[in-house]
Amino acid sequence: MTVSMGLRDAGMEVVFGGFQSIEEIVKTAIEEDVDIIGMSIHSGAHLAHTRNLVSLLEQKGLKNRFMILVGGAIPEVDFEELKKIGAANVYGPGSLIKDIVAFIHEHLDQK
Amino acid sequence: MFEKEAIKEIEERQKEWEKRVEKCKERDIEFVTDSGIPVKTLYTPADIKNHDYLRDVGFPGEPPYARGIYLNMYRGRLWTMRLFSGFGTPEETNERWKLLYREGETGFSAAVDALTFNGVDPDDPRGIAEVGTSGVPLYCIDSMYALTQGLPIDKISVALIVEPFTSCPICAMYFNMAKNKGIDLKTLMGTCQNDILTMTLGFVPFENVAPHHLLKLACDLIEWTVAMKNVPKWHPINFTTYNYREGGITAIQELGFGFANAIAHIDELLSRGWKIDDFVGRLAFHLSAHKDFFEEIAKYRAARRIWYKLMRDKYEAKDPSSYQFRFHIQTAGSSLTAQQPMVNIIRTAIQALEAVLGGCQSMHTNSYDEAMCLPSEEAVLLALRTQQVIAEETRVTNTIDPLAGSYYVEWLTDEIEERVWKYLDKIEAHGGIVGGLESGWLFSEMRDAFHRRQTNIEEGREKVIGVNIYVTEEEPHTQVFRTNPRAAEIEIERIKKLRARRDNKKVQEFLDELRNVCDRGENVMPVIMEATKEGATLGEICDVYREVWGTWSPPMLT
Repeated sequence: MTVSMGLRDAGMEVVFGGFQSIEEIVKTAIEEDVDIIGMSIHSGAHLAHTRNLVSLLEQKGLKNRFMILVGGAIPEVDFEELKKIGAANVYGPGSLIKDIVAFIHEHLDQK
Repeated sequence: MFEKEAIKEIEERQKEWEKRVEKCKERDIEFVTDSGIPVKTLYTPADIKNHDYLRDVGFPGEPPYARGIYLNMYRGRLWTMRLFSGFGTPEETNERWKLLYREGETGFSAAVDALTFNGVDPDDPRGIAEVGTSGVPLYCIDSMYALTQGLPIDKISVALIVEPFTSCPICAMYFNMAKNKGIDLKTLMGTCQNDILTMTLGFVPFENVAPHHLLKLACDLIEWTVAMKNVPKWHPINFTTYNYREGGITAIQELGFGFANAIAHIDELLSRGWKIDDFVGRLAFHLSAHKDFFEEIAKYRAARRIWYKLMRDKYEAKDPSSYQFRFHIQTAGSSLTAQQPMVNIIRTAIQALEAVLGGCQSMHTNSYDEAMCLPSEEAVLLALRTQQVIAEETRVTNTIDPLAGSYYVEWLTDEIEERVWKYLDKIEAHGGIVGGLESGWLFSEMRDAFHRRQTNIEEGREKVIGVNIYVTEEEPHTQVFRTNPRAAEIEIERIKKLRARRDNKKVQEFLDELRNVCDRGENVMPVIMEATKEGATLGEICDVYREVWGTWSPPMLT
């Protein structure tokens, strides 16, 4: 929510999905034709959800269609694994929105 | 309280002193409370010159209860040390509870997983990744047996941290389990959160029903347990201002939301024909202990006085227990950092001290690793020891409300009270809690607060050690507590066995009856007691709610 507000302030269009299953997230992303899927996970299940998201996108032939960002209560020791699975970047507690904005501009604008 | 002449002299001297102090250079920060209340350099008797001690402060256990709700407070009995915990499976959670009990915990508290919170069974394919991750899965009576096995739940109270969408079935499972164990429900102690704002403002809900249905369900539980005296020692609701404070609202808004929420429930129960003293003495609150030491203490003192006045003036309660503002404390999770996590131990200790100096009835202290994962055994024991150090070593419990009479604390207590009354009026003007939720106004209050706090941190106005000040290079914290990766498998097996064992025809009949009860707007508890006894699951019951009332998504980012 905080991130959504911050990204809006930075001039981006944000679709706040609420609490959704992976299937709903992918459906929303396709319908809204977004560039980025951001998932906020605080339960500890970040590895499983990210794996499920990536494999559903692969099944649908949408691998690499969206930039995936993952944030939440995620221990730093899991950052590398999440990136291996397919997250472009990971934001743990204490992340600043300005850094997220900078990352998006740097990596998305090149596309 | 003070002689007029003396006050006059103090005011004159104060003016002179202020002139002198103006010449001193101040550090370049804004001197305000966490809620933005401007704070003066010094407070004197002149700041509380209108205080009438007996009217405004009084004695513990007597109106206006500013100093505490019981006559002898901690000299009689310490607060309940109740650590919110749950993960993996009910069996694993039971082991953690036993460990905490052996180490001196005096109350249990169940943290449930996201599926239980949202009324989804563990065999729903959409939710398998979440089983047992953020809490314990509790979705049938069998889970309740496993959770409490070997624990003295006839003597020690259990808190079930579930919200109105799921509180009736989960409490019913717990009550049935206790009854089957031979415990008289008339003596059963415990509490549940049952707070409509938690699953709307505090968390993003997944396929819950609209706020006015949640209010109905919350009140059904209060009515059935307390007003109808089926489980008279239960605390059927805790207005959990903690959960929304975590999003960044101020201490003023925290109390405003809490009292407005209580008003909505009280009005609903009065409209059902109950009298205020039939139920209000069992309503409780769950507040935050946040970062501003004195503001939080003043907040607890103000809250007690506001509640007393609300009950006395607005509701004309007569029973003294209706006047007593009871509250549980959770130290502020949002003040913890993943960076330099050991610093969290210090933060938590200071916040816990606020709660004790403020006269809380029970407390959860956060573990230092909670910004990263669920508490490890080592971290949770340190969190419990934090409370025990305050209770056993510091002697702060020797005397009641030791900060009373501090010019600053008394002034701040008055200031907070006044601001809360004004904010309460504002909430009422927006249609109260239910109106404010359905129109989206409360979400915009929350959203602005989220945004304000994040901006304050990003711009350095709110200092956070390890994040925007005293940042150090550090190795990632490797001791990450992981929940049981087999939890989903275990729970799917449990639910399979249950479905094979139970009389499915009978369960279906009770679920059909529940549908009728919901349609007719009657209290759902009697039929849910029957259904859960027969083995109906949480998901099955919540699906009936969804079917009858439809699901609701909060108007969050509009």
